[in-house]
Amino acid sequence: MNGGRSEIVRITVTMTVVCALAGLVLGAAFVATHRYRESADRRTERRAISDLLQLDSAATVVEVRQLFAPGRREVIYRTAPLGAAAEREIVFGIDGRLVASGTAATGGTGRGEAGAARDDDAPALIPLGRMFVAFRGGTPAGFVVEGESRGYKNRIRFFVALTRGFEIAGVRVVEHEEDPGLGAEVATPAFQGQYLGRAAADLEALEVTKDPMPEDWRAALATVGRAPRDAWRERHGALLARERGKPVYAVTGATISSRALTDGVRETVDHFRRRWALLAPQLGGPS
Amino acid sequence: MSAALHPGPAPRARDLLLNGIFGENPVFRLALSLCPAVAVTTTLLNGVLLGVAVLLVQVLSSLTVTLARRWIHPRVRIPIYTIIIAVWVSVIDMLLAAFTPALYAQVGLYVKLIVAFAIIISRLEVFASRHPLVPSFFDGLGMGLGFLLALVVIGAMRELLGSGSIAGFQLTPGKPLLFFALPAGGFFSIALLMALFNRIERQVTGGSSRPSAGGGHG
Repeated sequence: MNGGRSEIVRITVTMTVVCALAGLVLGAAFVATHRYRESADRRTERRAISDLLQLDSAATVVEVRQLFAPGRREVIYRTAPLGAAAEREIVFGIDGRLVASGTAATGGTGRGEAGAARDDDAPALIPLGRMFVAFRGGTPAGFVVEGESRGYKNRIRFFVALTRGFEIAGVRVVEHEEDPGLGAEVATPAFQGQYLGRAAADLEALEVTKDPMPEDWRAALATVGRAPRDAWRERHGALLARERGKPVYAVTGATISSRALTDGVRETVDHFRRRWALLAPQLGGPS
Repeated sequence: MSAALHPGPAPRARDLLLNGIFGENPVFRLALSLCPAVAVTTTLLNGVLLGVAVLLVQVLSSLTVTLARRWIHPRVRIPIYTIIIAVWVSVIDMLLAAFTPALYAQVGLYVKLIVAFAIIISRLEVFASRHPLVPSFFDGLGMGLGFLLALVVIGAMRELLGSGSIAGFQLTPGKPLLFFALPAGGFFSIALLMALFNRIERQVTGGSSRPSAGGGHG
């Protein structure tokens, strides 16, 4: 059986070499493209945020990143104008007690690492999520919160926009790998329109149903992306009032994806409200 | 596929190109990769984008296999072909995501599916693994162009009939025959176009041509 054994070796060597080469090519392609991909993603993200908040030129957007420092058992919020370097740092203990607040650039909190080491990939800090706060005339005018949920295939990453009165102003899936024609439908304006106008407090009881969607509601949702949001809401005011108390209608054949997004939105908004209750006094808004 | 079974003198580039586009058109003749052809061709633009991606993957995979064919152990050629296709699909996926984000948002989901397109591995198996570099390149290019042509024609027909528009420009009010935008309509579109394809071919060749193969899947 000598021949058989040398065949085993040949096949093993061939497959190993092929896999190593494949890894090299893929690694090189990743290194060559990921920087461009990230900046493209950021541009898309920024467009989605200003679109969701329907911002005018008078508004400014501040990005707030939440990080957890397990060693110190502290939650850190870093704020920065959209696309700029971090400028403020607000630190809470895990019990919600304010520990420190100051400018991040100069290491104003006077705690932990030196200023230069305070970037996102400091290994000790675990990112917990991001939110974007729109300010108009010094007070918060709206929020976009990033959320993630496990979809049918892979994670679904999405933005939830809230008005200052904590009403959903829009939901937008920004990254997903659900099946085209089935789960991917949750990323359409028509499906996402079902969340419009729901109050954060009502989300706790929000369910997903497999019942067929009423035809008039379906027809209205089919046009949700085509007109300015406020005009659309005005035109379909009666329908919206009726459907606000109803569950979310699942995409036919994609109940799991529909539920994933709905659960994700509920959880994300819930987390946000608790975080904002802590943050609002620091950022100058109503809690 | 007689050329593939008897690798005598190398076939000519022009014949290989025409063979891929007409004689053995992947969709209309070989009836391969019909499912993806149906899934993505709801609009002309989707058809073009995916057709170009398939063209690139086919050519790159054919080139890789023909260059490496001496070292590919025949007993494990299928996993090796699969890895080669998967690598090129991933590379193209990364390039599209990085440099054409707007287009990627539309076809990104489908690009990953190219890994499982029957036409690509079948060309590696029947052609690139048995022919030198230049003919393999033209075979891959011809097959890729044939697939692109098919996706473009199907996409245009379905967009026109299903959505009443061409390349996004609305030509008719509303949706004339929504049926054609749905998956079942896709199969009907392919059947109608396949019949048309056969008819044209029969007229050109004077009725001597064999009927379309059919029976393919994947």
